[in-house]
Amino acid sequence: MREVFVVGIGITSFTRLEYPLAEIAAYPGMMALKDSGLSKVDQVYVANMGGGRVNHQTGLASAVVDQLSLAPAGAETIENGPASGASAIKTGFMAVASGLCDTVMVIGAERMREVNDLESTDFVATLTHPHAEYIYGVTLPSLAGMFARLYMDKYKVTPRHLGMVAVKNHDHAMDNFFAHLHERITLEGIIDSPEASTNNPFVADPLRFYDCCPVSDGAACVILASGDAAKKTGKPRIRLAGVGQATDTLAVHDRKEPTDLLAARGAAAAAFKMAGFKPSQVDVAELHDAFTILEIAESEEVGFFKKGEGHLALEKGETRLGGSLPINPSGGLKAKGHPVGATGVGQAHEIVLQLRGEAEKRQVKGAKTGFTCNFGGFGNNVVCLAFKKEG
Amino acid sequence: MNIYGYKCKKCGTVHYPFRTTCKKCGAFIFEDKADRYQLVPLSKEGKLLTFTRLRSLPGDFDVPELLLGIVQLDDGNRITGQLDIPAPKLGMKVKGEIRVVRQEGYNTHRGIVFEAA
Ligand SMILES: [Zn+2]
Repeated sequence: MREVFVVGIGITSFTRLEYPLAEIAAYPGMMALKDSGLSKVDQVYVANMGGGRVNHQTGLASAVVDQLSLAPAGAETIENGPASGASAIKTGFMAVASGLCDTVMVIGAERMREVNDLESTDFVATLTHPHAEYIYGVTLPSLAGMFARLYMDKYKVTPRHLGMVAVKNHDHAMDNFFAHLHERITLEGIIDSPEASTNNPFVADPLRFYDCCPVSDGAACVILASGDAAKKTGKPRIRLAGVGQATDTLAVHDRKEPTDLLAARGAAAAAFKMAGFKPSQVDVAELHDAFTILEIAESEEVGFFKKGEGHLALEKGETRLGGSLPINPSGGLKAKGHPVGATGVGQAHEIVLQLRGEAEKRQVKGAKTGFTCNFGGFGNNVVCLAFKKEG
Repeated sequence: MNIYGYKCKKCGTVHYPFRTTCKKCGAFIFEDKADRYQLVPLSKEGKLLTFTRLRSLPGDFDVPELLLGIVQLDDGNRITGQLDIPAPKLGMKVKGEIRVVRQEGYNTHRGIVFEAA
């Protein structure tokens, strides 16, 4: 297997974008080409979940490769729910590692706000089991709510802990120009004060408004290259050292222990094994905090903390910028935003910035290893990536 | 009316929802369907494993909120359903019945709704 490096990155703001989906997707591709100094690539993968349903556009990769005048490069659209982004990176990794391609552009793009919130919630809910969940009105927030109630009861996690994730990630996003939310919040305002129940109403109890990520449009890109192709670009040697993926039952009730996220556990273990380093050696991580409870649970499942102790590390500030393991310095899905198909690529973008030392005010000092967890469905399909700065 | 589980004739594991291959023994349940599995009505009684009060609903629901839960059934299976319980509590005893749970245009979906037992 050949080594794979990231030689170019690009991103749009995660927000509401009034451009056609293919143009939103092409923009970070253009930025990444500029960043890498390349003018063409062998292959383009475009991660997207809702083009066919929300934007009336299928075969998105064909439109994007043409937008970028990269034809006749190969192009494919990759859909794997909210883990589409990291799945596309994994596919790009396989293409370069196998020797099939020397350079691969991986774009993640989504334009969800073309429809209203009710429609986008229903569209994402089509990820659930059609007969055993969807018909009851089960949506992703409701699965997260049921998970949170059980998890909080079992591990003594309180609403204040959930609030601490939100406050931390909103704080981090203040220093990320491309983040969806630039809004400083406090535990006082969202949990402790008498006004908190008005400021922060329940969405799927025990989860409240500030426990849930916003609905975002946006896109991000990474360009992957073989060792030789990477050397020619002269870019910092950021290696995609490990990729891992694992799946779990589609219906959440079908899991033996509903508070376990076995797919996250398996995907992380596989990524670390390939990368050859341990969770304890990670300097910076981006986890999939579509709901605050997920950042806590994933921080345990991927191996950073013992099961049931993620909230204690959070409480001590270990996961904040400046702490021993900063999680979601970009603001995470919670505040950076969650354009579903783009999210996994956005996470990789942040880690590459961090390992290059280009993250400015939110830079994790001296970061040499990074990790991402992109969580699809409600934990039924998870892709993790491990990055390493070489030399 | 009942909700049915799919019992693998080879090892006896009951699956809900349906799956083509037995999770326990690997038997191809779907192959020659009638021969390989037996439909068994799931119990309608059990205890509430977890729940949520959902306030942001897909557009085809014309109610302001929906109570959803996962129930550990007395026969050992688990099911997701709606709750018709004013103040649900973790671990409470519940009893289900089949009702209309969603109307999508002309498409009527029936499913299980639990009340306090
Ligand atoms: Zn069997």
